[in-house]
Amino acid sequence: MKILIIVLSFFCFQQLKAQELFVYTEPASNMAAKSIGLRLNNYLQKEKFQSKYNYMFIPELMWGVSKKIMVHAEGVFSNRSNRLKAEGAALYAKYRFYSQDEVHNHFRMAAYIRGSVNNSPIQQPAIDLNGYNSGYEAGVVATKLIHKLALSANVSFIHATDNNTGNKFLYGNKNRNAIGYALATGQLILPRQYINYEQTNFNIMAELLGQTNLSSGKSYLDLAPSFQFIFLSKMRLDIGYRFPIVNDLERMSTNGFLLRLEYNFFNVYK
Amino acid sequence: MKKIFFVLFLFTLLQAQGQVKKVTLQASGLTCSMCSNSINKALKSIDYVEKVMANIQASSFEITFKPGAKVNFDELKKKVEDAGFAVAGLTASVDFENVAVTNDEHVTVNGMVFHFLNVQDQTLSGTKTIKVIDKGFVSAKDYKKNGKYTKMECYKTGTAGSCCVKGGLAAGTRVFHVTI
Repeated sequence: MKILIIVLSFFCFQQLKAQELFVYTEPASNMAAKSIGLRLNNYLQKEKFQSKYNYMFIPELMWGVSKKIMVHAEGVFSNRSNRLKAEGAALYAKYRFYSQDEVHNHFRMAAYIRGSVNNSPIQQPAIDLNGYNSGYEAGVVATKLIHKLALSANVSFIHATDNNTGNKFLYGNKNRNAIGYALATGQLILPRQYINYEQTNFNIMAELLGQTNLSSGKSYLDLAPSFQFIFLSKMRLDIGYRFPIVNDLERMSTNGFLLRLEYNFFNVYK
Repeated sequence: MKKIFFVLFLFTLLQAQGQVKKVTLQASGLTCSMCSNSINKALKSIDYVEKVMANIQASSFEITFKPGAKVNFDELKKKVEDAGFAVAGLTASVDFENVAVTNDEHVTVNGMVFHFLNVQDQTLSGTKTIKVIDKGFVSAKDYKKNGKYTKMECYKTGTAGSCCVKGGLAAGTRVFHVTI
Protein backbone atom coordinates (compact mmCIF):
# COMPACT_ATOMS: atom_id res chain seq x y z
CA MET A 1 0.00 0.00 0.00
CA LYS A 2 2.80 2.36 0.98
CA ILE A 3 4.59 1.61 -2.26
CA LEU A 4 1.42 2.34 -4.17
CA ILE A 5 1.13 5.74 -2.50
CA ILE A 6 4.76 6.54 -3.22
CA VAL A 7 4.37 5.52 -6.84
CA LEU A 8 1.16 7.52 -7.15
CA SER A 9 2.59 10.61 -5.53
CA PHE A 10 5.68 10.36 -7.72
CA PHE A 11 3.39 10.14 -10.72
CA CYS A 12 1.48 13.19 -9.58
CA PHE A 13 4.67 15.13 -9.03
CA GLN A 14 5.80 14.26 -12.55
CA GLN A 15 2.67 15.91 -13.88
CA LEU A 16 3.13 19.14 -11.98
CA LYS A 17 4.40 22.23 -13.67
CA ALA A 18 5.53 25.49 -12.19
CA GLN A 19 3.34 28.55 -12.28
CA GLU A 20 4.31 32.10 -11.43
CA LEU A 21 1.17 34.17 -11.81
CA PHE A 22 1.13 34.80 -8.10
CA VAL A 23 -1.93 36.15 -6.37
CA TYR A 24 -0.59 38.38 -3.58
CA THR A 25 2.78 39.29 -5.06
CA GLU A 26 3.99 40.21 -8.53
CA PRO A 27 6.55 37.97 -10.26
CA ALA A 28 9.65 39.42 -11.94
CA SER A 29 8.04 38.68 -15.30
CA ASN A 30 6.05 41.39 -17.02
CA MET A 31 2.84 41.35 -18.94
CA ALA A 32 3.09 41.51 -22.73
CA ALA A 33 3.98 44.86 -24.28
CA LYS A 34 1.12 46.79 -25.87
CA SER A 35 -1.40 44.89 -23.79
CA ILE A 36 -3.91 46.13 -21.26
CA GLY A 37 -5.23 44.21 -18.28
CA LEU A 38 -8.08 45.00 -15.94
CA ARG A 39 -8.28 43.65 -12.41
CA LEU A 40 -11.14 43.83 -9.96
CA ASN A 41 -9.69 43.10 -6.54
CA ASN A 42 -12.16 42.40 -3.75
CA TYR A 43 -10.83 42.11 -0.21
CA LEU A 44 -12.88 40.90 2.71
CA GLN A 45 -10.96 41.57 5.91
CA LYS A 46 -12.02 40.51 9.37
CA GLU A 47 -11.87 43.63 11.57
CA LYS A 48 -10.30 43.36 15.00
CA PHE A 49 -12.66 43.92 17.99
CA GLN A 50 -15.61 43.80 15.60
CA SER A 51 -17.69 41.00 14.19
CA LYS A 52 -17.97 42.57 10.75
CA TYR A 53 -15.83 42.09 7.69
CA ASN A 54 -14.49 45.15 5.91
CA TYR A 55 -14.98 45.17 2.20
CA MET A 56 -12.36 46.82 0.07
CA PHE A 57 -12.70 47.13 -3.68
CA ILE A 58 -9.57 47.93 -5.68
CA PRO A 59 -10.02 48.22 -9.44
CA GLU A 60 -6.66 48.07 -11.16
CA LEU A 61 -5.63 48.95 -14.69
CA MET A 62 -2.44 47.31 -15.99
CA TRP A 63 -0.46 48.39 -19.02
CA GLY A 64 2.46 46.63 -20.70
CA VAL A 65 4.41 49.70 -21.84
CA SER A 66 7.31 47.77 -23.35
CA LYS A 67 8.84 44.35 -22.96
CA LYS A 68 10.63 45.58 -19.85
CA ILE A 69 8.27 48.10 -18.29
CA MET A 70 4.75 47.69 -16.98
CA VAL A 71 2.55 50.10 -15.04
CA HIS A 72 -0.47 49.59 -12.78
CA ALA A 73 -2.90 52.26 -11.65
CA GLU A 74 -5.46 51.49 -8.99
CA GLY A 75 -8.26 53.07 -7.04
CA VAL A 76 -9.23 52.15 -3.48
CA PHE A 77 -12.83 51.94 -2.29
CA SER A 78 -13.71 50.78 1.20
CA ASN A 79 -16.72 50.50 3.49
CA ARG A 80 -14.74 51.05 6.71
CA SER A 81 -16.75 54.20 7.34
CA ASN A 82 -19.92 52.13 6.92
CA ARG A 83 -20.53 53.01 3.33
CA LEU A 84 -18.46 52.22 0.27
CA LYS A 85 -16.45 55.28 -0.71
CA ALA A 86 -13.27 56.20 -2.53
CA GLU A 87 -10.36 56.36 -0.10
CA GLY A 88 -7.23 56.32 -2.20
CA ALA A 89 -5.25 55.56 -5.30
CA ALA A 90 -1.89 54.07 -6.17
CA LEU A 91 0.59 53.82 -9.02
CA TYR A 92 2.93 50.90 -9.47
CA ALA A 93 5.71 50.42 -12.04
CA LYS A 94 7.96 47.45 -12.63
CA TYR A 95 11.14 47.28 -14.68
CA ARG A 96 12.49 43.87 -15.65
CA PHE A 97 16.24 44.28 -15.82
CA TYR A 98 17.48 40.72 -16.05
CA SER A 99 16.21 37.68 -17.95
CA GLN A 100 17.77 34.36 -18.63
CA ASP A 101 15.26 32.31 -20.58
CA GLU A 102 15.36 28.70 -21.60
CA VAL A 103 12.46 26.56 -22.74
CA HIS A 104 11.32 25.26 -19.37
CA ASN A 105 13.58 27.19 -17.12
CA HIS A 106 14.08 30.87 -16.51
CA PHE A 107 15.45 33.37 -14.07
CA ARG A 108 14.29 36.96 -14.05
CA MET A 109 14.81 39.99 -11.91
CA ALA A 110 12.85 43.21 -11.74
CA ALA A 111 12.81 46.43 -9.74
CA TYR A 112 9.57 48.12 -8.79
CA ILE A 113 8.19 51.23 -7.13
CA ARG A 114 4.79 51.99 -5.72
CA GLY A 115 3.37 55.31 -4.63
CA SER A 116 0.02 55.58 -2.95
CA VAL A 117 -2.27 58.19 -1.47
CA ASN A 118 -5.03 57.50 1.05
CA ASN A 119 -7.61 59.59 2.89
CA SER A 120 -8.56 57.22 5.67
CA PRO A 121 -7.54 57.55 9.34
CA ILE A 122 -4.41 55.52 10.13
CA GLN A 123 -5.23 52.95 12.77
CA GLN A 124 -2.23 50.61 12.80
CA PRO A 125 1.59 50.77 12.91
CA ALA A 126 1.88 48.17 10.14
CA ILE A 127 2.16 49.95 6.80
CA ASP A 128 -0.11 48.89 3.96
CA LEU A 129 0.19 50.86 0.74
CA ASN A 130 -2.50 48.72 -0.77
CA GLY A 131 -5.48 50.51 0.67
CA TYR A 132 -4.51 51.91 4.09
CA ASN A 133 -1.53 54.25 3.91
CA SER A 134 -0.11 57.06 1.85
CA GLY A 135 3.55 56.44 1.11
CA TYR A 136 5.99 54.81 -1.21
CA GLU A 137 7.78 51.54 -1.68
CA ALA A 138 10.81 50.46 -3.73
CA GLY A 139 11.86 46.88 -4.12
CA VAL A 140 13.37 44.08 -6.16
CA VAL A 141 11.91 40.74 -7.09
CA ALA A 142 13.65 37.64 -8.42
CA THR A 143 11.72 34.76 -9.95
CA LYS A 144 13.24 31.40 -10.75
CA LEU A 145 11.35 28.84 -12.73
CA ILE A 146 12.60 25.33 -13.02
CA HIS A 147 10.37 22.93 -14.86
CA LYS A 148 8.22 21.91 -11.90
CA LEU A 149 8.83 24.70 -9.42
CA ALA A 150 8.43 28.46 -9.52
CA LEU A 151 9.98 30.42 -6.69
CA SER A 152 9.83 34.15 -6.29
CA ALA A 153 11.50 36.29 -3.65
CA ASN A 154 10.64 39.86 -3.00
CA VAL A 155 12.20 42.50 -0.78
CA SER A 156 11.30 46.16 -0.51
CA PHE A 157 11.73 49.34 1.47
CA ILE A 158 8.45 50.88 2.58
CA HIS A 159 7.89 54.41 3.84
CA ALA A 160 4.62 55.75 5.24
CA THR A 161 3.82 59.44 4.99
CA ASP A 162 0.83 61.05 6.69
CA ASN A 163 -2.46 60.23 5.05
CA ASN A 164 -4.40 62.97 3.32
CA THR A 165 -7.13 65.10 4.89
CA GLY A 166 -5.18 65.53 8.12
CA ASN A 167 -4.94 61.87 9.02
CA LYS A 168 -1.48 61.65 10.57
CA PHE A 169 0.76 58.63 11.02
CA LEU A 170 0.45 58.36 14.79
CA TYR A 171 3.15 55.87 15.65
CA GLY A 172 6.23 58.09 15.70
CA ASN A 173 8.37 59.38 12.86
CA LYS A 174 11.00 56.71 13.32
CA ASN A 175 8.40 53.99 12.79
CA ARG A 176 7.49 55.19 9.33
CA ASN A 177 10.01 52.87 7.65
CA ALA A 178 9.67 49.15 7.17
CA ILE A 179 11.08 46.28 5.16
CA GLY A 180 8.61 44.18 3.22
CA TYR A 181 9.43 40.68 2.06
CA ALA A 182 7.68 37.80 0.38
CA LEU A 183 8.32 34.33 -0.87
CA ALA A 184 5.96 32.79 -3.38
CA THR A 185 5.59 29.47 -5.10
CA GLY A 186 3.03 28.14 -7.53
CA GLN A 187 2.05 24.98 -9.34
CA LEU A 188 0.00 24.28 -12.41
CA ILE A 189 -2.39 21.44 -11.61
CA LEU A 190 -4.57 21.36 -14.71
CA PRO A 191 -4.54 20.81 -17.61
CA ARG A 192 -2.27 17.81 -17.68
CA GLN A 193 -1.80 18.28 -21.41
CA TYR A 194 -2.15 21.61 -23.16
CA ILE A 195 -4.19 21.14 -26.30
CA ASN A 196 -5.78 24.52 -26.96
CA TYR A 197 -6.31 28.00 -25.54
CA GLU A 198 -9.87 27.23 -24.44
CA GLN A 199 -8.73 24.84 -21.73
CA THR A 200 -9.19 26.08 -18.19
CA ASN A 201 -5.98 26.22 -16.19
CA PHE A 202 -6.08 25.47 -12.51
CA ASN A 203 -3.17 26.63 -10.37
CA ILE A 204 -2.42 26.59 -6.68
CA MET A 205 -0.14 29.07 -4.97
CA ALA A 206 1.35 29.58 -1.56
CA GLU A 207 2.83 32.89 -0.51
CA LEU A 208 4.57 34.12 2.63
CA LEU A 209 4.07 37.85 3.15
CA GLY A 210 6.00 39.69 5.79
CA GLN A 211 6.90 43.10 7.12
CA THR A 212 9.39 44.23 9.75
CA ASN A 213 9.35 47.75 11.10
CA LEU A 214 12.86 49.16 10.84
CA SER A 215 12.66 50.99 14.14
CA SER A 216 10.52 48.90 16.48
CA GLY A 217 11.75 45.62 15.00
CA LYS A 218 8.23 44.24 15.22
CA SER A 219 7.07 41.95 12.44
CA TYR A 220 4.21 40.10 10.94
CA LEU A 221 4.38 37.13 8.65
CA ASP A 222 1.29 35.83 6.87
CA LEU A 223 0.72 32.67 4.97
CA ALA A 224 -1.53 33.07 1.96
CA PRO A 225 -2.65 30.00 0.07
CA SER A 226 -4.69 30.58 -3.08
CA PHE A 227 -6.40 28.96 -6.02
CA GLN A 228 -6.36 30.33 -9.50
CA PHE A 229 -8.37 29.60 -12.60
CA ILE A 230 -7.43 30.86 -16.04
CA PHE A 231 -10.22 30.84 -18.61
CA LEU A 232 -9.77 31.07 -22.39
CA SER A 233 -6.13 32.05 -21.82
CA LYS A 234 -7.11 35.64 -21.05
CA MET A 235 -9.30 35.68 -17.93
CA ARG A 236 -8.13 34.97 -14.43
CA LEU A 237 -10.01 34.24 -11.23
CA ASP A 238 -7.98 34.23 -8.00
CA ILE A 239 -9.30 33.16 -4.63
CA GLY A 240 -6.98 33.56 -1.69
CA TYR A 241 -6.99 33.64 2.08
CA ARG A 242 -4.27 35.13 4.27
CA PHE A 243 -3.67 34.55 7.94
CA PRO A 244 -0.79 35.37 10.29
CA ILE A 245 1.80 32.92 11.52
CA VAL A 246 3.81 35.67 13.20
CA ASN A 247 1.72 38.57 14.47
CA ASP A 248 3.87 40.92 16.45
CA LEU A 249 3.34 44.12 14.45
CA GLU A 250 -0.15 45.35 15.17
CA ARG A 251 -2.79 45.40 12.47
CA MET A 252 -6.51 46.19 12.55
CA SER A 253 -7.26 43.13 10.51
CA THR A 254 -5.12 40.11 9.91
CA ASN A 255 -7.30 37.45 8.35
CA GLY A 256 -9.03 37.98 5.07
CA PHE A 257 -10.15 36.78 1.69
CA LEU A 258 -9.17 38.03 -1.72
CA LEU A 259 -11.31 37.49 -4.76
CA ARG A 260 -9.86 38.83 -7.97
CA LEU A 261 -11.09 38.91 -11.53
CA GLU A 262 -8.64 39.77 -14.26
CA TYR A 263 -9.16 40.24 -17.97
CA ASN A 264 -6.36 40.74 -20.47
CA PHE A 265 -6.53 42.44 -23.83
CA PHE A 266 -3.45 41.46 -25.83
CA ASN A 267 -1.96 43.71 -28.54
CA VAL A 268 -4.38 46.53 -27.99
CA TYR A 269 -2.39 48.81 -30.28
CA LYS A 270 0.37 48.42 -32.90
CA MET B 1 3.29 36.08 -77.15
CA LYS B 2 5.17 32.94 -76.20
CA LYS B 3 8.11 35.11 -75.26
CA ILE B 4 5.97 37.13 -72.90
CA PHE B 5 4.74 33.96 -71.24
CA PHE B 6 8.29 32.74 -70.96
CA VAL B 7 9.37 36.00 -69.36
CA LEU B 8 6.38 35.90 -67.02
CA PHE B 9 7.19 32.29 -66.20
CA LEU B 10 10.78 33.23 -65.45
CA PHE B 11 9.54 36.08 -63.34
CA THR B 12 7.28 33.83 -61.24
CA LEU B 13 10.17 31.41 -60.88
CA LEU B 14 12.34 34.20 -59.60
CA GLN B 15 9.58 35.27 -57.27
CA ALA B 16 9.14 31.77 -55.89
CA GLN B 17 12.86 31.53 -55.42
CA GLY B 18 13.77 31.94 -51.79
CA GLN B 19 10.18 32.27 -50.67
CA VAL B 20 9.82 31.51 -46.94
CA LYS B 21 6.79 29.23 -46.76
CA LYS B 22 6.66 28.37 -43.12
CA VAL B 23 8.46 29.16 -39.88
CA THR B 24 8.47 27.05 -36.77
CA LEU B 25 9.41 29.09 -33.76
CA GLN B 26 10.02 27.88 -30.27
CA ALA B 27 9.61 30.36 -27.44
CA SER B 28 11.14 30.15 -24.00
CA GLY B 29 10.31 31.57 -20.62
CA LEU B 30 6.60 30.64 -20.68
CA THR B 31 4.64 29.21 -17.81
CA CYS B 32 1.03 29.23 -18.89
CA SER B 33 -1.41 29.22 -21.75
CA MET B 34 -2.04 32.93 -21.12
CA CYS B 35 1.63 33.64 -21.91
CA SER B 36 1.43 31.43 -24.97
CA ASN B 37 -1.71 33.23 -26.05
CA SER B 38 -0.01 36.61 -25.80
CA ILE B 39 2.70 35.39 -28.20
CA ASN B 40 0.07 33.84 -30.46
CA LYS B 41 -1.82 37.11 -30.66
CA ALA B 42 1.37 39.13 -31.19
CA LEU B 43 2.48 36.92 -34.10
CA LYS B 44 -0.96 37.15 -35.68
CA SER B 45 -0.76 40.95 -35.58
CA ILE B 46 1.94 40.90 -38.31
CA ASP B 47 0.20 41.79 -41.57
CA TYR B 48 1.90 39.15 -43.77
CA VAL B 49 1.23 36.29 -41.37
CA GLU B 50 -1.56 34.07 -42.63
CA LYS B 51 -1.92 31.56 -39.83
CA VAL B 52 -0.35 30.66 -36.49
CA MET B 53 -0.71 27.15 -35.16
CA ALA B 54 0.37 26.98 -31.53
CA ASN B 55 1.56 23.92 -29.72
CA ILE B 56 1.08 25.16 -26.17
CA GLN B 57 2.63 22.09 -24.58
CA ALA B 58 5.88 22.53 -26.49
CA SER B 59 5.61 26.38 -26.56
CA SER B 60 6.17 26.25 -30.31
CA PHE B 61 4.37 28.13 -33.07
CA GLU B 62 4.01 27.12 -36.70
CA ILE B 63 3.62 30.29 -38.75
CA THR B 64 2.48 30.31 -42.38
CA PHE B 65 2.61 33.40 -44.55
CA LYS B 66 0.56 35.09 -47.20
CA PRO B 67 1.74 34.45 -50.79
CA GLY B 68 4.63 36.66 -51.80
CA ALA B 69 5.25 37.78 -48.20
CA LYS B 70 8.64 39.24 -47.39
CA VAL B 71 9.25 37.43 -44.14
CA ASN B 72 11.40 39.20 -41.61
CA PHE B 73 12.80 36.83 -38.97
CA ASP B 74 13.80 39.79 -36.81
CA GLU B 75 10.21 41.00 -36.70
CA LEU B 76 9.00 37.57 -35.58
CA LYS B 77 11.63 37.57 -32.85
CA LYS B 78 10.68 41.07 -31.73
CA LYS B 79 7.03 40.05 -31.36
CA VAL B 80 8.02 37.20 -29.04
CA GLU B 81 10.34 39.45 -27.03
CA ASP B 82 7.72 42.18 -26.72
CA ALA B 83 5.35 39.63 -25.29
CA GLY B 84 7.96 39.15 -22.56
CA PHE B 85 9.65 35.99 -23.74
CA ALA B 86 12.63 34.79 -25.78
CA VAL B 87 13.13 32.75 -28.93
CA ALA B 88 14.75 29.39 -28.27
CA GLY B 89 14.72 28.19 -31.87
CA LEU B 90 13.56 29.23 -35.32
CA THR B 91 13.47 27.01 -38.40
CA ALA B 92 12.17 28.11 -41.78
CA SER B 93 10.97 26.14 -44.79
CA VAL B 94 12.38 27.96 -47.78
CA ASP B 95 11.96 27.25 -51.50
CA PHE B 96 15.34 27.07 -53.18
CA GLU B 97 16.04 26.80 -56.90
CA ASN B 98 19.56 25.62 -57.63
CA VAL B 99 21.22 27.73 -55.00
CA ALA B 100 24.86 26.85 -54.53
CA VAL B 101 25.75 26.92 -50.87
CA THR B 102 29.29 27.03 -49.56
CA ASN B 103 30.18 26.58 -45.94
CA ASP B 104 31.01 29.82 -44.11
CA GLU B 105 30.07 32.00 -47.08
CA HIS B 106 27.23 34.34 -47.86
CA VAL B 107 24.54 33.77 -50.42
CA THR B 108 21.71 36.13 -51.33
CA VAL B 109 18.35 34.48 -51.90
CA ASN B 110 15.36 36.65 -52.81
CA GLY B 111 16.89 39.68 -51.16
CA MET B 112 17.80 37.87 -47.95
CA VAL B 113 21.44 37.31 -47.15
CA PHE B 114 22.18 33.93 -45.61
CA HIS B 115 25.49 32.89 -44.14
CA PHE B 116 25.55 29.10 -44.03
CA LEU B 117 27.52 27.56 -41.19
CA ASN B 118 28.40 23.96 -40.39
CA VAL B 119 27.11 22.70 -43.75
CA GLN B 120 28.59 20.70 -46.59
CA ASP B 121 28.99 22.54 -49.88
CA GLN B 122 25.93 21.70 -51.93
CA THR B 123 23.28 22.94 -54.31
CA LEU B 124 19.86 23.47 -52.72
CA SER B 125 16.72 22.76 -54.70
CA GLY B 126 13.13 22.47 -53.62
CA THR B 127 11.80 23.17 -50.12
CA LYS B 128 14.51 22.94 -47.48
CA THR B 129 14.42 23.61 -43.78
CA ILE B 130 17.05 25.97 -42.47
CA LYS B 131 17.69 26.89 -38.86
CA VAL B 132 18.56 30.45 -37.89
CA ILE B 133 21.43 30.42 -35.38
CA ASP B 134 21.91 34.14 -34.87
CA LYS B 135 22.09 35.69 -31.43
CA GLY B 136 18.62 35.73 -29.88
CA PHE B 137 17.36 32.93 -32.13
CA VAL B 138 18.97 30.12 -30.13
CA SER B 139 19.83 29.74 -26.46
CA ALA B 140 22.82 31.76 -25.27
CA LYS B 141 24.70 28.48 -24.78
CA ASP B 142 24.10 27.32 -28.36
CA TYR B 143 24.99 30.73 -29.73
CA LYS B 144 28.35 30.52 -28.04
CA LYS B 145 28.88 26.93 -29.16
CA ASN B 146 28.13 27.73 -32.81
CA GLY B 147 30.74 30.49 -32.75
CA LYS B 148 33.40 27.88 -33.56
CA TYR B 149 32.05 27.49 -37.11
CA THR B 150 33.14 30.92 -38.29
CA LYS B 151 35.68 33.61 -37.59
CA MET B 152 33.72 36.32 -39.37
CA GLU B 153 32.61 39.24 -37.26
CA CYS B 154 29.17 39.31 -38.90
CA TYR B 155 28.27 36.35 -36.67
CA LYS B 156 28.58 38.68 -33.70
CA THR B 157 26.92 41.75 -35.21
CA GLY B 158 24.35 40.10 -37.49
CA THR B 159 25.17 42.68 -40.14
CA ALA B 160 27.66 42.82 -43.00
CA GLY B 161 31.00 44.27 -42.04
CA SER B 162 34.53 44.21 -43.41
CA CYS B 163 34.36 40.40 -43.36
CA CYS B 164 31.61 40.39 -45.97
CA VAL B 165 33.07 42.56 -48.74
CA LYS B 166 33.76 39.49 -50.90
CA GLY B 167 30.08 39.06 -51.64
CA GLY B 168 29.77 42.75 -52.50
CA LEU B 169 27.46 43.36 -49.57
CA ALA B 170 26.86 46.89 -48.43
CA ALA B 171 28.04 47.45 -44.87
CA GLY B 172 25.19 47.08 -42.41
CA THR B 173 23.17 44.63 -44.54
CA ARG B 174 21.37 42.15 -42.30
CA VAL B 175 23.03 38.72 -42.54
CA PHE B 176 21.14 35.71 -41.20
CA HIS B 177 23.44 32.96 -40.00
CA VAL B 178 21.82 29.63 -40.76
CA THR B 179 22.49 25.95 -40.84
CA ILE B 180 20.71 22.98 -42.36
